[in-house]
Amino acid sequence: MAKGVRIAGVWKVFPPNVVALKDISVEIRPGEFFVILGPSGSGKTTLLRIIAGLEIPTRGSVAIGDREVVNVEKGVFVEPRDRNVGMVFQNWALYPHMTAYDNIAFPLRLKRMPEEEIKKRVTEVAEALGIAELLDRKPGHMSGGQQQRVAVARALVKQPDVLLLDEPFSNLDARIRVTAREFVKELQKKLGITTILVTHDQADAFAVGDRIMVLRRGETQQIGVPEELYSSPANVFIANFIGDPPTNIYKLPTSHRLVKSLGIPQGVEEGYGELYIGIRPDEAAALKPGDEGHLEGRVVLVEYVGSRRYAKVDVGDGVSLKVLLECDANTGDPVRVRVQKVHVFAPSGERLATLTY
Amino acid sequence: MRRALRSGRPGLIGSPFKILVLNVVAWAVGVLWITPFIGIFMTSIRPFREVVLHGWWSPVPFTPTLKNYVDALFNPMFSLSRGIINSFIIAVPSTLIPVGIAALTAYGFARFSLPVKRYLFVTILFLMAVPQQMMIIPIFFLLKDLHLLNTYLGLILVHSSWGIPWITFFLKNYFSLLPVELEEAARVDGATDFQVFRKVVLPLALPGLISASVLQFAWVWNDFFFALMLIFDPDKMVVTQMLPRLKGQYQVDWGLLSSGSVIAMLAPLLIYALFNRYYMRGFRGWAMKG
Repeated sequence: MAKGVRIAGVWKVFPPNVVALKDISVEIRPGEFFVILGPSGSGKTTLLRIIAGLEIPTRGSVAIGDREVVNVEKGVFVEPRDRNVGMVFQNWALYPHMTAYDNIAFPLRLKRMPEEEIKKRVTEVAEALGIAELLDRKPGHMSGGQQQRVAVARALVKQPDVLLLDEPFSNLDARIRVTAREFVKELQKKLGITTILVTHDQADAFAVGDRIMVLRRGETQQIGVPEELYSSPANVFIANFIGDPPTNIYKLPTSHRLVKSLGIPQGVEEGYGELYIGIRPDEAAALKPGDEGHLEGRVVLVEYVGSRRYAKVDVGDGVSLKVLLECDANTGDPVRVRVQKVHVFAPSGERLATLTY
Repeated sequence: MRRALRSGRPGLIGSPFKILVLNVVAWAVGVLWITPFIGIFMTSIRPFREVVLHGWWSPVPFTPTLKNYVDALFNPMFSLSRGIINSFIIAVPSTLIPVGIAALTAYGFARFSLPVKRYLFVTILFLMAVPQQMMIIPIFFLLKDLHLLNTYLGLILVHSSWGIPWITFFLKNYFSLLPVELEEAARVDGATDFQVFRKVVLPLALPGLISASVLQFAWVWNDFFFALMLIFDPDKMVVTQMLPRLKGQYQVDWGLLSSGSVIAMLAPLLIYALFNRYYMRGFRGWAMKG
């Protein structure tokens, strides 16, 4: 039966005074695919290692199911080997001196399980992951994708309560990466195992995550389902970090022409001299000069992404916006920009309002 | 790192002049190094008369013979074969014991934290620098009190404890090169600290362990000083002690002495040759294998 993970008030300070995690609290539900997303140095891997027991928090507690595995205040610490978690490391950490079979069998052999039972379980999990024909190879003779599957098999074979994945896709080629994501997601749904994945790549996070937690410099920025992070970012950092191509963000005085022409209501800007304005490229369009819109501008650059075209439009006063190009304007042509959605943030970063037109 | 070496190479041996200088120096050192060995070898396979009259370097007359070897091995007074057996009896445990103990110590130093770790390690380095001659008198009396003088066990213990510091130093560096994720993976997989050590660290550190063993074996085999001080029963003497006795009382038989030396050299040479592959890898380190 899947177990949840409860993280409460976790701090991690690396001596002398590097604060890797600041008061992290989150409840991960049983059977959930939970993603910890953040740029490098955000403390996401440290959090995962604390759950695994490879790192001890400076303060706070972690519980897997009903059992506390670490509680600094009460002096509780359960060794990694007794937590029944499976972990896949960034570089997969396969034992190079063992065959795939022995790698997968390793956790079971440590439990002194009888050899025939081990054989049954290894074959079972290897077949489920499509690596049955690789079992007598050593890691050095496998491709990246195959090594990853062996690492996942090794993590799953002991039927852990929680599966931890540390940047499992970052060492894969772009093409295999997409298949690997689907494969991991499907597998997780099939097994119903609580899974926590750490990544710096928003595409990974959005592809597999039921819920996503965004970390920045050790602080929780937002926890929510993918749509939530995209449509109502909690602050400028999230708006900037999530979305591809990245959101157009400008810090502008409230008296600025752009702020005026977007018609931001009095109530929102009250009390602030400056605001952050965030416009997603996919939520604004460059149209023919005669069309209805908010801003006048001139195309500086045209870019093709897949089937879509984006134009970088200079709207004057040192502001240029990347928006969807929905007319046949070329570099240098005048266009009219129509905005569908604007996120308005306070100078301190938190979101004040989202306006839809 | 290997790439750095490669990129540094063109500058080093780029010009023909540099190649020439390098070659001259390398060959000169090589010849200097190998000449005594060739001398010993030539002396050992020729009748003594020939060596005395013409010198070992003279090409004629050349009468190869194995007589010196037979005499050296089966000398009724000081049997070299007995010495070789004794050397093995001493050298094998004197290699396995310190490598085993030092592997544990080194892993502790490489991966665990304990209060005075730094100072302990510095002490070990310091102890490595103490000369044997300074320690021999206390060692002698210690063994005497333990009734271990003139025994195999006594000499084995002395060699083992002498080997532990440098092997610890050597293996600590080697263990530090191993990727720590593998050990973490093993811990999450359910291994105790000792299981991590035995099932993951030791197999991965095999080249390092072999390098240390080869060096320690050669060191113990070639040791003369400790053996001379601690073993005096002719039946228990090691090969390096037997050698000088071959020179006889009234006249020095250089042929006999040379053949003895060649025989004594064989064991460490064979060990080097046998484990050469691992030995080299041990020095390069696991991290540089790719």
